[in-house]
Amino acid sequence: MIQATVLLADDHKLMRRGLRLILEQHPEFTVVGEADDGRQAVALAETLNPDIVVMDVAMPNLNGIEAAQQITGRHPKTAVVMLSMHSDESYVLRALKAGARGYLLKDSAEADLTQALQAVREGKSFFSPAVSRVLLEDYGRKLRRAGAEDSWDLLTARERETLQLVAEGKSSKDIANLLNLSVYTVETHRSNLMQKLQLKGIPELILYAVRKGLIA
Amino acid sequence: MDALRPGRTLRWVLLGGFGGLLALASVAGFEALRALENMHAEEQQARTAYLARSQALLEFRQGLDAWGSRVQEYFLTWSPDTPSDAVDGIQGVVVQIRTALNGWPQAGDPEERQLVEALRSALQEQEQAVNDGLAEGRTKDTARMNRYLHDEVLPRHDRVVQSEEKIAVWDHRHFSGLDAQLVEQFAAVRTRLSRLLVVILGSGFLLAMASIVYILGQDREARQRYAELVESRTQLSDLSARLLEAQEEERRSISRELHDEVGQSLGALLVDVGRLAADIAPEDSVARERLKRVKELAEGSVNSVRNIALLLRPSMLDDLGLVAALEWLAREVSRRGEMEVEVEASGVSASLPEDYKTCIYRVVQEALNNAQKHSGGHNARVRVEQANGQIAIRIHDDGRGFEATRTRGMGLLGMEERVTRLKGTLRVESAPGAGTTVEARLPEVS
Repeated sequence: MIQATVLLADDHKLMRRGLRLILEQHPEFTVVGEADDGRQAVALAETLNPDIVVMDVAMPNLNGIEAAQQITGRHPKTAVVMLSMHSDESYVLRALKAGARGYLLKDSAEADLTQALQAVREGKSFFSPAVSRVLLEDYGRKLRRAGAEDSWDLLTARERETLQLVAEGKSSKDIANLLNLSVYTVETHRSNLMQKLQLKGIPELILYAVRKGLIA
Repeated sequence: MDALRPGRTLRWVLLGGFGGLLALASVAGFEALRALENMHAEEQQARTAYLARSQALLEFRQGLDAWGSRVQEYFLTWSPDTPSDAVDGIQGVVVQIRTALNGWPQAGDPEERQLVEALRSALQEQEQAVNDGLAEGRTKDTARMNRYLHDEVLPRHDRVVQSEEKIAVWDHRHFSGLDAQLVEQFAAVRTRLSRLLVVILGSGFLLAMASIVYILGQDREARQRYAELVESRTQLSDLSARLLEAQEEERRSISRELHDEVGQSLGALLVDVGRLAADIAPEDSVARERLKRVKELAEGSVNSVRNIALLLRPSMLDDLGLVAALEWLAREVSRRGEMEVEVEASGVSASLPEDYKTCIYRVVQEALNNAQKHSGGHNARVRVEQANGQIAIRIHDDGRGFEATRTRGMGLLGMEERVTRLKGTLRVESAPGAGTTVEARLPEVS
């Protein structure tokens, strides 16, 4: 079992205590530090160099999203899991743009925490099921009202595979190996699907994948 | 009502004051005219009477002189052969005298009547004496005629002259008296007029002064009130701005409190409940069921608290910025109703000042609220554009629209208030069937 060090950043002591107690039951995770605002989280991430940072979105002195951006900017290997009360796309998309790999709703943190940490430790993404549901509902309603076709139907099977693997955090090289394709072909699939779905960048791609229920 | 009552009283006072003054002046004028006319008539009458009397006296005196000299001549030159028709000439002069006396104006004064009566009787006596003498002359001699002239006729003639002179004196005196009386009357009229004039001028002056003082007072009061009005209007607008600010602040703090304290505690509670669930033996289904209910309850509470907090003030506005908050709002409106809302933003600075963010968010919120409630449209588009030194916000819906010039609800007023506070402008364009466009322009902060 892969061992992982975890930094908890939340301005509420009760929340941190709860999270720590959950993690203590899972020996593969070691809580190495706690921060109660964004600035401290950035500083501790710098000194402790944890594998995973669990970060509350709304914190005083530098909010979670900006702190996540700074941490992932300096330590690309550190996986950030955002902890939030909001399932709205605004938060999810901005968390993704800040480099977060997971997005957990506080209501379901207890149930999903370890699962989320395991996923990001393995380089995958994780989103609370409720988030996926809300995103999917919004997406479906929009399509229905606009009378538009789901652009998903425009994708080829290979493109769908590529989409899922990119969303899971795989590099083009990994995907080429997995699918027995050349890196060049994978890149072509990738740019085609981005164009068809009108996506700008990986965060939007991940969001799209979450909407479609491709990753959770 | 109380403010109106003095006005009505004042109107009557002014009407009474100036009306009375005018009436007084007219009465005085009419009276003076009438008095002058009277005096003029009296003077005219007196002058006419005086002239008539003078004329009568003159004729009387001439007649008397003529008669006297003829009588004297007759008596002195009498001889038995004096022609009898010489008497006829004397009688003719007597008729002339009598006519003159009859031409005397109707006597009104008792003294005058007495004097005239005396003259008449003196004249009659002399006439009698002359007539007797004439009658006697036919029989008597010259010497007797002479004596008769001296003893009987001349004394009587003198008495007539005296009587006539008395009348002349009286006439003159009477006329002078009348003159004095007229002067007196005129003086009386003048005094009366002067008094009236003083009263009129005095009260007019008082009335004018009172009016001036009152009008100046009113004017000062009006100016003061106007200044107060301007002052209070400024205060009111300040107050409403401060109220808006306070309301926003209050909402923010309650929202934060709910989110941070209640929400986070409930979140922590949920974590604990989850841990507790792991401790319960799998076969203890009753406890599991109870715990599940507790969890559901807590989850429901978390949701409510989150929704209330977001309604009060979306945390995105503080956590993620304006555009994210507007996108969230758009999705919320889309989720709640039949209208799909799109947000388009370009060039919006991430470091927009707090009051700008709040203003724009609230304007969009109100406009979307109105669109959703009233327009019946299916699509709305929100555009926020920051360029060329200003921020333009445009909210358009494809609903049924309304008469923009007529309808102006509280919501619009609230938007206007917020936009005006930042020195911006708000425009609402709509026509039945053409949708509604709300457009706000804010000067960019430097």
